[in-house]
Amino acid sequence: MSTGTTGRFQREELVGKYLTFALGNEEYSVPVLKVREIIKIMDITAVPQVPDYVKGVVNLRGKVIPVVDLRLKFGFPPQDYTERTCIIVVEVALATGARMMSIIVDHVSEVLNVTAEEIEQTPQFGDEIETDYMKGIAKVRGHVKILLDLDRVLGVDGTIAMPQASAA
Amino acid sequence: MTTRKTASPRKTASKPRATAKASAVARPRATRKKKAPAIAAPPVEPVIDMTPSMALPSPGAEATIADFVIDDDTELAVVQSDAELGNLFIAEALDHLGTIEAKLLELDDRPEDTSLLNDIFRPFHTVKGNASALGIVSVERVAHKVENLLDLARSGKIQMGGPEVDLVLRSVDVLSLMINDVGQRLAGQPRRATGTEAANLVIEVEQLIAGQLEGAALLVPAPVEIVEAVAPAVAEMVDEPAFEQDRRSATPSRRRDDVPMLAATATAIKVDTRKLDNIVDVVGELIVVQSLIQQDPALASLVDGRLARNMAQLRRLTADLQRNSMALRMVPIRQAFQKVARVVRDISRKAGKSVDMVITGEDTELDRKMVEEITDPLMHMARNSVDHGIESPEVRQANGKPARATVSLSAYYQGSHVIIEVKDDGAGLNTERILESARKKGLVAPDATPAPEDIHRMIFEPGFSTAAAVTEVSGRGVGMDVVRRNIESLRGRVDIRTERGQGTTFLVRLPLTLAVLDGLLVRVGSERCVLPAAAVRESLRPKPEHVHCVQGQPRMVQVRESVLPLVSLGAVLGMGAVALDPSSATVVVVEEGGSRIGLVVEELLHKQEVVVKSLGDSFASVRGVAGGAILGDGRIGLILDPHGIMTMVREGSRRAA
Repeated sequence: MSTGTTGRFQREELVGKYLTFALGNEEYSVPVLKVREIIKIMDITAVPQVPDYVKGVVNLRGKVIPVVDLRLKFGFPPQDYTERTCIIVVEVALATGARMMSIIVDHVSEVLNVTAEEIEQTPQFGDEIETDYMKGIAKVRGHVKILLDLDRVLGVDGTIAMPQASAA
Repeated sequence: MTTRKTASPRKTASKPRATAKASAVARPRATRKKKAPAIAAPPVEPVIDMTPSMALPSPGAEATIADFVIDDDTELAVVQSDAELGNLFIAEALDHLGTIEAKLLELDDRPEDTSLLNDIFRPFHTVKGNASALGIVSVERVAHKVENLLDLARSGKIQMGGPEVDLVLRSVDVLSLMINDVGQRLAGQPRRATGTEAANLVIEVEQLIAGQLEGAALLVPAPVEIVEAVAPAVAEMVDEPAFEQDRRSATPSRRRDDVPMLAATATAIKVDTRKLDNIVDVVGELIVVQSLIQQDPALASLVDGRLARNMAQLRRLTADLQRNSMALRMVPIRQAFQKVARVVRDISRKAGKSVDMVITGEDTELDRKMVEEITDPLMHMARNSVDHGIESPEVRQANGKPARATVSLSAYYQGSHVIIEVKDDGAGLNTERILESARKKGLVAPDATPAPEDIHRMIFEPGFSTAAAVTEVSGRGVGMDVVRRNIESLRGRVDIRTERGQGTTFLVRLPLTLAVLDGLLVRVGSERCVLPAAAVRESLRPKPEHVHCVQGQPRMVQVRESVLPLVSLGAVLGMGAVALDPSSATVVVVEEGGSRIGLVVEELLHKQEVVVKSLGDSFASVRGVAGGAILGDGRIGLILDPHGIMTMVREGSRRAA
């Protein structure tokens, strides 16, 4: 995997099934193979000394799993959790190995089959917007879905407790 | 080990083996008869005309290293095709080597006990056999050579004195290294350079055998089988096939020796520790669900005798299951003690001190992880005892003490803790010298006169050493502080008892397991946190006149005679600093590393035994938090780390100053 901001992935690598979810009016997606579980929002135990987007930890059948609020991580204004708010439990590959983590999203939409024709490279936005978190975008039925690189979103250096500078 | 797997590597063996096999059938009975009395009556057998030098050449080291560096394709073909088999071999072999090491140390004490030789030989033979069956040639070669030595010792042709035991112990080290290396290589790691060590060892074994047998009789030439089977380069050494038969036919009888051992271990099975951890996880979850159901209001409103009985039964069973699953992780501390015994033996030799090692309570069970983690600190303390504590034999005698010193290692239960003692009858700690050294290092003010116990504890300070000379093993001032840190990270503590001229005792106190914690639940803001009960001295609602303010903030609390710093737990941790009036909240007095502090919490809930979970390395940099515990309602409560909190408070006040 090269470290360029765009074009890190071959189009073929990105083809497959994605779970899509909403943050505000935007549609994001993660590969279904990364998704372990989708649960309703539940009581989260806050952990001190972490960035505000790290909401804390939850107990998933005896396992302690960190929770990241993706709205806050991406700089959306905070919003009260609703009936539709979901926690998506994912497996991410960090520098220290595979870990179970979870993200809070506004609501889960659907599972999409993304084909090579629908995939486009991440456009360059200039400095304002971080594109490192994106593997690319997919245009499906007229809607743009952002393909997230979860390994980067959830831990550039393997620890979410440290406030991270933007990824190099 | 399965015999099914033996087929492929055997086929690759060189041709001469086949002929040897054929002729081996011819005289098995005769040879066995010949061997039997040899074991029963150690005295030397009639001389067979073969000079030791002929059978035991000392090939150049360079030539031999290659014999122990076999490329992975040749050596690891079998284990690579069956990873489980390979792992089984490694685990079993290391197990056997552990047994061998323990028995060797016993043999060192009781060289006359010939049954020990058999106890050493059997597992050694098994390791060799397994390695050979799997085609791990380098291990087989080393093991084989040492086995020869042991075999000669068994039949009384070689005396197992100090140097011989040393050599076999070293071979255990080399073999462990090589076998661990096999695991590494299987995992795709590069090979460690063990070739030289292996080669040197084999040469030394050869020389030792040659030396011992010089002038005496030689019945079984050592290197025959290895030469023929795996090292065709030196095949010219095999000039007497009868010896080959001798060895072959001896093998089945030894196999029979193995049978009782197998039968004895048949009641135990090896289980991957991850599976055990999974069980503990699931059982922890079961307990939570059970208590959720138990407390369910819908269920509580039902008045039904049968339901109540069944619920009670369910609670008993789940509690039972939890206890049992916890017990699965417990192992005897023996393994750690063996390593310490080995270190004491090696170091006392090197330092020219004679030391008796006394071990008691090695069956005391501790969490497996604890046993692993405590081994190094124990080894370090024992090393210190031998190196600094114990005087030279001359000094001891001059002081009217027996020339032979004693280091004892014991373990026993005390409540829900295990106490481990490392005790020596050496010179004891030199209080004056420690104080002098502490003054020089600025740890103590020049005019201060701390209590002796406080002075003694200073040896646990970083960079502290009073050793007159820096020896190979200790005196560099790294170590005792690490010992204390390691023990504290296991939620234990270490104390010293010492008396000049009488000796020193290190007392290590450890919880039985790291998996369960006796905790005190407190409320901080909207969160519930768990304070380790061991660190909590008391809790109180102070009277307003006992709370002292500094700059308008409540900063101190008077608890009976002493005044303690007062800190809001939420503020220290950074969980939202609610300005709490300590006289209406609760103050929990926490003691850690000798200092006490009053933590203000919103509410003291109750005591609870919790299962400790790691928060994972995502939260590695969070301070003051040691982990998470799943509470009765399924939520996670943070387990607090008193040591970390103390440090944060100290740093905070330093920054403010």
